[in-house]
Amino acid sequence: MTEPLRLSVVGHTNVGKTSFIRTLLRSTRFGEVSSRASTTRHVEGASLKVEGDEVLRLYDTPGLEDAMSLLDYLERLRRPGERRDGPALIAQFLDSAEARGQFEQEAKVLRQLLASDAGLYVIDAREPVLPKYVDELEVLSLCGKPLFPVLNFVAGNDTRSDAWRDALARRGLHALLSFDSVAPPLDGERRLYESLALMLEKARPQLQRLIADRAAQAEARRRNGARLIAELLLDVAAYRVSVAPEDDVVAQAVRGMRERVRAREQQCVEALLRLYGFERGDASTAELPLAEGRWEEDLFHPETLKQLGIRVTGGFAAGAAAGAGLDLMVGGASFGAGAVLGALAGGAAQAGRQLGARLLGKLRGERVLSVDDAIIALLALRQQQLLRALEARGHAAQQPLALDDPRDSDWRKAKLPEPLVKARAHAEWSSLNPGAKLEQADRRAQITALARLLAQTATDHHPS
Amino acid sequence: MTSKPSTALSKLDRLWLAEAIRLTEAHAGLLEDAEANRHARAGGGDLAQRILVRAERLAERDGLRAALLHWRQAATLLLFALAAFALFTGAGLAFAALGDGQRPVNVFWALGSLLGLNLLTLAGWLIGLGSEAGGAGLGRLWLWLSGKLAHDARAVQLAPALMSLLSQAGLARWGLGRLVNGFWLLVMGAALLVLIALLAARRYGFSWETTLLSTDHIVALTQGLGALPALLGFPLPAPDIVRASSVALDQEAARQSWAGWLLGTVLVYGVLPRLLLTLLCGWRWRRGLRTLQLDLSQPEYQVLRERLLPSGESLGVSDPAPDALPRARPGQAVGAGSGAVLVGIELDQDQPWPPPLPAGVTDAGLADSRQQRQALLEALIRQPPARLVIACDPRRSVDRGTLKLIAELSRLAAATRVWLLTPDRVDPARREEWRAALRELRLDYVDQAPLGWLESGHD
Repeated sequence: MTEPLRLSVVGHTNVGKTSFIRTLLRSTRFGEVSSRASTTRHVEGASLKVEGDEVLRLYDTPGLEDAMSLLDYLERLRRPGERRDGPALIAQFLDSAEARGQFEQEAKVLRQLLASDAGLYVIDAREPVLPKYVDELEVLSLCGKPLFPVLNFVAGNDTRSDAWRDALARRGLHALLSFDSVAPPLDGERRLYESLALMLEKARPQLQRLIADRAAQAEARRRNGARLIAELLLDVAAYRVSVAPEDDVVAQAVRGMRERVRAREQQCVEALLRLYGFERGDASTAELPLAEGRWEEDLFHPETLKQLGIRVTGGFAAGAAAGAGLDLMVGGASFGAGAVLGALAGGAAQAGRQLGARLLGKLRGERVLSVDDAIIALLALRQQQLLRALEARGHAAQQPLALDDPRDSDWRKAKLPEPLVKARAHAEWSSLNPGAKLEQADRRAQITALARLLAQTATDHHPS
Repeated sequence: MTSKPSTALSKLDRLWLAEAIRLTEAHAGLLEDAEANRHARAGGGDLAQRILVRAERLAERDGLRAALLHWRQAATLLLFALAAFALFTGAGLAFAALGDGQRPVNVFWALGSLLGLNLLTLAGWLIGLGSEAGGAGLGRLWLWLSGKLAHDARAVQLAPALMSLLSQAGLARWGLGRLVNGFWLLVMGAALLVLIALLAARRYGFSWETTLLSTDHIVALTQGLGALPALLGFPLPAPDIVRASSVALDQEAARQSWAGWLLGTVLVYGVLPRLLLTLLCGWRWRRGLRTLQLDLSQPEYQVLRERLLPSGESLGVSDPAPDALPRARPGQAVGAGSGAVLVGIELDQDQPWPPPLPAGVTDAGLADSRQQRQALLEALIRQPPARLVIACDPRRSVDRGTLKLIAELSRLAAATRVWLLTPDRVDPARREEWRAALRELRLDYVDQAPLGWLESGHD
């Protein structure tokens, strides 16, 4: 196995060095992040792995705070007329008493940089180019290690990226990395590693491996996120409760359904958070505004009839609201042509039982409640929005994730996609219903189809 | 049951347990898995291997592994019972078909009773092949009964997991097909053997009966059915024998050719199809089993990836934090200085500087670079001011270098105030941090321009 590439993450205090590592590590647990200066006072390593192999090692270092005095001190260390190179001078400084006293923090940084292959100099791009930062670069360059400036916090409007570019170019640092650790662009990680690979030739194979792995994982995360959403939507679409038609019974059932749908959504939210490596409490979703429970009988849903092997014409579907007479007809017809074919396909028992239960309910005068299309569309929109937000969120972000209700109404205007329409007729597909058969092949196929659909719309939103 | 081989898990068993754990976690939430994960990480290998180790640990802890062993025992037992049942059924079919020998055997009736059910279920199975689990009612019954017989509450979760695992790889139809076809192979084999034994040891007369069909139809039917067996060397009753057999013939040749024809058709239409299908299913099953592996694209496994094969982790602190950071020393000049000085530190370019100053106040400019700071400090040492105002931009983070400069400047003046400029954009937390640092230096700070104080010495 090749040695991992070691990079020291250095910079002024409070420019987001720890955040930067957190985001690359996809972990909110690394180090401590706060808006206070000098939060990190130690050196901490983090390894980035591909399939268990360590390919990159990042060291978080304390912030530089007094480079000016250090530069003064180094000049005094250099005796007049003496020509010593930077690393030798730094070595002499590290041996001095001041390296354990006044400049202890700076000494830690320099010691770590000397032991690394290169340094990433993190810059808060909102800051003006002050002389103290230029002095920091000078001290760091004495170590004789390649130094790559990383512009952090570039997502806002009030950045001074151009001034920094200019100032760094004046000091011979033309290769500049841009990476916002709070709101990293979707391909930010890839661009960062690619730039590093260009500059550190020896480490190119490892970095390429890292790029490929991270891309594959991002893709897998997106796909799995879509699948979790698809499962939620299918669960809710197929959710159905039969109750007696008395008003208070219905009202109680509607309340119960709302509770369960809310809980199911929360479950999906938490699964998505886990998938993206965030902690619970990061996201807050407003209470789901469930509309009235769905009052239409799903019994007359054309899909229900199709399930029984009956060809549905437009007129038949439209006339389906007619009432009980039709019930009996459906019962008669279904056990004719449909039943024989169904029996041979092994599906008759299923279909028959479903129809039986529903006919029975209908005759008893029960009402079947299911969740409204609009609610499902709302769930779809919200979860997709959450997925997108999580994708674009760095692991350094400190503010809770807040989502507003979706405004775009692709889902609202459109009918439910095909898999959900099918699910309406399959109560056994919903984990919310008793006696659910979640491993049914057909259910799985519909989830896969729906997830693909969701992933597609997700990519449509990202032009990348 | 302590013998080693029966407790060792096959590849299928381990995948099965992993699937059972996955389904449990997908439907009922994550299990407490810290210990299992540690073992899995320590075991090394790729993600699939680690997931298998984790699943086996969890299964062991939750009794799922034991349930699987129970289930397997029950399944084996059931398999034997099923085989015995098949043999009895086959023998029964043969006895029923030939009857007691008192009356002649109605050949087509006998053939129908021997092959009818078999061919019907075969057709059902072939139609069901299109769907994933392949309409193998018998196979499902076996799975269900195994679960019941295992006498283990946890075994209930095992059958769905097995079906899920196998149907993901499209293996369920072949596995269950092997079972179903094997069962019917036994039935038909037993029937054939008992037929041979009965025909060898007893005397039967053969006849056919019909109400609807003509004799020619019967001849054609006999010839048609017998054509394939005839290719294998089975005798085919000659047309005149068939015609004459509407009443049982007491001729040895007729009896032998009818017996041979019956055996041949049972072999070709009963035993051989089932044998071929059993072999086909067995072959597909074995081949599928070899390539069977975890479907790592499942969302549950994606979450596990981060825990079992982390793409990044902290290596811990390699250079610990010091107990205390060096601090700037507070203080002020002893003698009374003269004059008033305003200096700015690290101000933004968009800050108009200096502000219009009252008479008698010296503008010392900005103290950003080392040269500027050096010059300023030297000037103040030569002429210590009575009042000094240091203007800072609290958008900068409070760093030791700046605090040190402020402290050093304040030690050169008789009285010092720090003016925290108030651009509206300052984060309140950052401002508070500045104030705390200045309090530590025992310096006064103000938000509004302290130019009046600078000019006169009082507010």
